Amino acid sequence: MSGTAAAATAVQLLGGIALAPLLPGLVQHWKARLQGRRGPTPLQPYRELRRLWGKSAVDVEGAGIVYRLAPSVAAGSIAVAVLLVPVASDAPDLGVGRDALVLAGLLALARFAVAASSWEVANGFALMGASRDLTIAVFVEAALVLALAVAALVSGTTDLVAMIAGTAGSAAWSEPALALGALAFALVVVAETGRQPVDNPDTHLELTMIHEGPLLEYAGRDLALLQWAAAARHWLVLVLAAQVFLPHATDPRVQLGLLPVLLVVLCGALALTETLVAKMRILLAPRLLGIAALVALLGIVTWLVEGA
Amino acid sequence: MSVAGSVLVGAAAVGAGGLLTLLHRTFVAGLALQAVGCVLLAFGGLWALVADETAGLAFTSAFDPRVGVDALSGLFLGILGAVGVAALVFATRYLEPSGKGRTIGALTGLFVLVQALVLVARDPLTFLLAWEAMTLVPAAVILVSRADEPARRSVFFYVALTHLAGAGTWVAILLLASEGAIGDPSVIASGSGVQIAIALAALVGMGAKAGVMPLHVWLPLAHPIAPAHVSALMSGVMIKIAIYGLVRVLVEWLGVLPEWLGVLVLALGALSSVAGVVYALFQHELKRLLAFHSIENIGIIVLGLGACLLLRARGADAWAAFALAAALLHTVNHALFKSLLFLGAGSFERAAGSLELDRLGGLLRRMPWTGGAFFVGAVAIAGLPPLNGFASEWTTLQSLLHVPAYGGVADGTAAAIALAALAATAALAALCFVKVVGLVLLGPARRDAVAHAEEAPGAMRAGVAALAGGCVLLGLAPGLLFGSLVGLAPWSAEAPTTVGLDLPGTGDFRSGGVALALAALVGALALVRGRRVAARAPTWACGQLVERQLDWTSAGFTKPLRLVLEDVLRPEREVAVRTEGGVVTEVAYEGRVPHHFEERLYRPVTALAMYGAHHARRVQGGRLGVYVAYLLGLVLVVLAAAKLGVLG
Repeated sequence: MSGTAAAATAVQLLGGIALAPLLPGLVQHWKARLQGRRGPTPLQPYRELRRLWGKSAVDVEGAGIVYRLAPSVAAGSIAVAVLLVPVASDAPDLGVGRDALVLAGLLALARFAVAASSWEVANGFALMGASRDLTIAVFVEAALVLALAVAALVSGTTDLVAMIAGTAGSAAWSEPALALGALAFALVVVAETGRQPVDNPDTHLELTMIHEGPLLEYAGRDLALLQWAAAARHWLVLVLAAQVFLPHATDPRVQLGLLPVLLVVLCGALALTETLVAKMRILLAPRLLGIAALVALLGIVTWLVEGA
Repeated sequence: MSVAGSVLVGAAAVGAGGLLTLLHRTFVAGLALQAVGCVLLAFGGLWALVADETAGLAFTSAFDPRVGVDALSGLFLGILGAVGVAALVFATRYLEPSGKGRTIGALTGLFVLVQALVLVARDPLTFLLAWEAMTLVPAAVILVSRADEPARRSVFFYVALTHLAGAGTWVAILLLASEGAIGDPSVIASGSGVQIAIALAALVGMGAKAGVMPLHVWLPLAHPIAPAHVSALMSGVMIKIAIYGLVRVLVEWLGVLPEWLGVLVLALGALSSVAGVVYALFQHELKRLLAFHSIENIGIIVLGLGACLLLRARGADAWAAFALAAALLHTVNHALFKSLLFLGAGSFERAAGSLELDRLGGLLRRMPWTGGAFFVGAVAIAGLPPLNGFASEWTTLQSLLHVPAYGGVADGTAAAIALAALAATAALAALCFVKVVGLVLLGPARRDAVAHAEEAPGAMRAGVAALAGGCVLLGLAPGLLFGSLVGLAPWSAEAPTTVGLDLPGTGDFRSGGVALALAALVGALALVRGRRVAARAPTWACGQLVERQLDWTSAGFTKPLRLVLEDVLRPEREVAVRTEGGVVTEVAYEGRVPHHFEERLYRPVTALAMYGAHHARRVQGGRLGVYVAYLLGLVLVVLAAAKLGVLG
């Protein structure tokens, strides 16, 4: 393994596992600043994780094995996704392949586990959130797959390492299809990270919850795992946005060096969106994501017309 | 023992077992012998597939009864045998040795035999006769098991539709026979009228039998009312045999088809998969829901076939073979998990007395074996890693993604739309099966009868557990089968040899690695999470008491989607509030999502047919003299025509 590849692997694992909580922390921090508040430090998610890790849980009466295993399954499948998504165009296979569409499957598995757990506690608010999350996921998955398909067609493969290489350099400027894919993927990022206008991560009102709803009953280490999984989702989609859809360098060393900058910029963009855009009605969110899918489809048509 | 010997002895064992099943004393032994016969059928079939061996005679276009086995027949014999074993072992305890049970047991054997006969038929006559028998035997089973009015209506609808549309199969096969093209792809010219005619006829006839929309309406009527093990065979195998027919005709015998036909097949597949799962979501009875899911999965298989035809038309032979293998892999996978789910539903019905989704609950705790296997099947059908449903959906997605890479603008766009449809289908299936496992297996029991449900007897558990094992195995190592399936393409294609799915142009789905990493990480996290519990507490519902009246229902969980799709689905709801002296005493709610295909497409056609029949009845006076007059008139017309030279 070359030095660059070793460094890329280190960034991928350390970043995905240890630095991921920093991303939602940064968004919250800047969002508070933009709204004229002082807000928590960017390290707040780590404090919360530490506090939760030390607490014991309160189990819901009558809940069984699915309820107990769901946080581990959700966090485990997101962790496998971290193994899957490379951060540079020179990175080794960590034994789980490099395929972009497998990522969609792993994200769906995490979602399934959490949604199934909400039936165990038979809590109306949890189920409300789960059913909304799964409904929106229908449109998110279509948009995600189509956006990835745009990048895959441009680079000729669904291998993520080759996709980072194939969309590097001038491709972002010379391929109009990629710009449409990026637009669609931006909306997927908003939905997967559970941010406004699709979902409001700060809500404390159960009736409006989507992603937070199924988490209501969890406490202690269970909740810590679920919060880490949510943070790692930020890492996964933001890394893909930075290294595939946004303009990036051809040299893997430059890619690695610029990644922190791009991630910080993207977190800032999320904070800005959260400040400027109000949460939309839940039933309108599928429409927004349906538009994202259409935009990505338009990207594919663009690519086809270009090649014809 | 050779392939031929294994299949012949297996068929004989199924037949002899069927006869023994008729006797009260040898009832269980007869079913067991049938199961042994199915093992032999599966063994012979899979041997033919893996070793790429042929046995018996080759295909002929002559009306000369003959049988034989090749690799493609072998694959489907393998599916038939594998599902047959599980269903028959399940049936040893599911059926009772009463007169009715014995007849159903024997008919099950006959059902297996006629399906095997379709697969080994090597001439048009045997094929068509076995094809028709395959439709009629399950109708007989349903009528033996229950003869009430709705069941008879459903069976009538099933037989009528599969026979009317089934004419397409006859047209396709007889046209192929008259061209001498059965078993010989070089006869029919690409793009010729007869090629198109055969392809369209096969799509109508075999598509109806497979349950492809819009010719699917018989399926959700017939499948749920059959006994569980026959439902498993119908959904798991019978509709797959129609896929076998489609692969034979469209992929093997017709040569390269024009692109627009591939696009048509893609459109049918996308419609079936999305609409199938959407209607499944709004079903509140488990077996009916599962029947709609069969339509969805047939749609996914047809998407793979469509991608295969398009890639073949574009000369991308390697990916065309992968697309065919993806469709066939999903065929195998769906056979495994759908029969598992139908058998599990049979056990639940036995234990809990009902399959109304809102009246079950908590069965995972009461029936850990059946419930656990059912859970595996639900995760598999939802298309989630690391189980088998994901492997075949991933390969189908990849095949669709590779169509634009080789295709023109029109077919590339069609494939991209199909890609989005398949992604949405997978997410909808996940939504649907979260609902199913939640309402059936998890949470509190919703009725007292469910709270006292007892685990199914050993044989019934063994049937579902074996199928769940198959789902796990093909999820861990889909490459074991995938390589052989690629070899089934009639053009030469290089088959991958890994246990995962390392395909060129993809980032490789290393199924084993993903499963191992998942198991290790989930296990480790569950360990560090520990079992420390400070206390047990009731569910927090914002201060409300959590009572049974507040339990979420099937309709409630799918409401967000129903609202999102309101313009398409046009749900009907009725709320009746009764007040007495200004106090609300009763609120009645009724809601349903109408099945538009039935109400908008079939009802007008049926009404027109009934109207026509009503008027045609006037001709049928019932008096002998009138009929003699008709005959006389006919003879005169024929004579006149002969005189004028119209008849040649």
